[in-house]
Amino acid sequence: MVGLKIAAVFIMSASIGVLYRVPRRLLFYVGMVGVLSWLVVYTTLQSGGNIILADFMGSIVIGIVSELLARMLKKPAAIFIIPGFIPLVPGGEAFSTIRFMVDGHYAEGVAMGMKTLMIGGAIAFGIFVSSTVYRLVINYSVENNTDNAEKS
Amino acid sequence: MAVSLEQIMKIAGLAGEIMLKNGAETYRVEDTMTHIAKACGAAKVETFVTPTGLFLTIYDSSGRLSTSMWRVRARTINLDRVAKVNELSRRLVDQRIEYQNAYSILEHIGRERTGFSLLPSMLAAGAVGGTTAILQNANTLEVLGALGAAMTVRYIAHVVSRRHGVQFTYEFLGGMTAALIGSGLDMLVPSISRDAVIIGGIMPLVPGVAITNAIRDVIAGDLLSGLSRGMEAALTATAVTMGVVIALAVHIVR
Repeated sequence: MVGLKIAAVFIMSASIGVLYRVPRRLLFYVGMVGVLSWLVVYTTLQSGGNIILADFMGSIVIGIVSELLARMLKKPAAIFIIPGFIPLVPGGEAFSTIRFMVDGHYAEGVAMGMKTLMIGGAIAFGIFVSSTVYRLVINYSVENNTDNAEKS
Repeated sequence: MAVSLEQIMKIAGLAGEIMLKNGAETYRVEDTMTHIAKACGAAKVETFVTPTGLFLTIYDSSGRLSTSMWRVRARTINLDRVAKVNELSRRLVDQRIEYQNAYSILEHIGRERTGFSLLPSMLAAGAVGGTTAILQNANTLEVLGALGAAMTVRYIAHVVSRRHGVQFTYEFLGGMTAALIGSGLDMLVPSISRDAVIIGGIMPLVPGVAITNAIRDVIAGDLLSGLSRGMEAALTATAVTMGVVIALAVHIVR
């Protein structure tokens, strides 16, 4: 079952890559970013972590891996980030919110909506934090070592 | 290599326009235009980029300056073009390509039809929908239903963009279609429950580029662009949600 899901995540990220016209050679990397982040989420959930924490960890991994890949392959980091985080999007929670609201269960709907927003915020801030940290580290190493700056 | 001010303006502006039209982040558009202009011999470059247009001022070495503005109306998502313009600006900066050559390549990038036609896009959208259903622990029939729903949604996108639809129409119609297909299959086939089908159907509508660019623009300090892109993402999500809500409401009244 886990194997099937890993394959599903890989296909999903790569397909999102196709939809957003990512260069074909990079589709494999794009799929791997998705799989890696999903594995982080899965292990965090299995070891008893909260879904919000799990998605935060997963999107931090997306941010760091994407920035490293971007540097390695000299491509914009967004190419790897966008398809990478789509498998983490809380589609199920969002749909439950809609269902509650349509059925008139507004209290449950608002509660579920808050959960959806929290998960979305965790994903956004995971990417935010990892990109910021990556930038700080790069600036720091550039200030301390101008040779590195020349090479990059 | 003497390149006139007007020529620098043309190449830097075209590069910026292509990147902005195809979904690049604001700071990347600004950086690329600055790099290209400097590589062609500009002394100083000032840029101001928003998601709907860009301003560019270039000073040459004798102190003359020129300012232009490009209004960007139709925006699509094509990360391949962004990557190609990015690559071209690197080559220009490293002096590995001449101005004239670079300009014709840039025009070619802006015109060419890259990537994939309707059928592969539909298959990719279907794959996204189907795999989403797998992640939701759906059974085989539900996975197939989600695949079909996502493909139909993608086909609607194609039709609406052909007819130059207003923004958010396609997301609204897509959410509605996915919900109708889900409800319909739920009624017709007993082993299908609508939830997985609808979730799979709306997954290709998630505004991934708008969300990511909003975050990255805010980090880079482009608050104006970040806010408007965040708004675009929120409105897209609302359009999808309302499409699903209305279709489901119809279904419940029956």
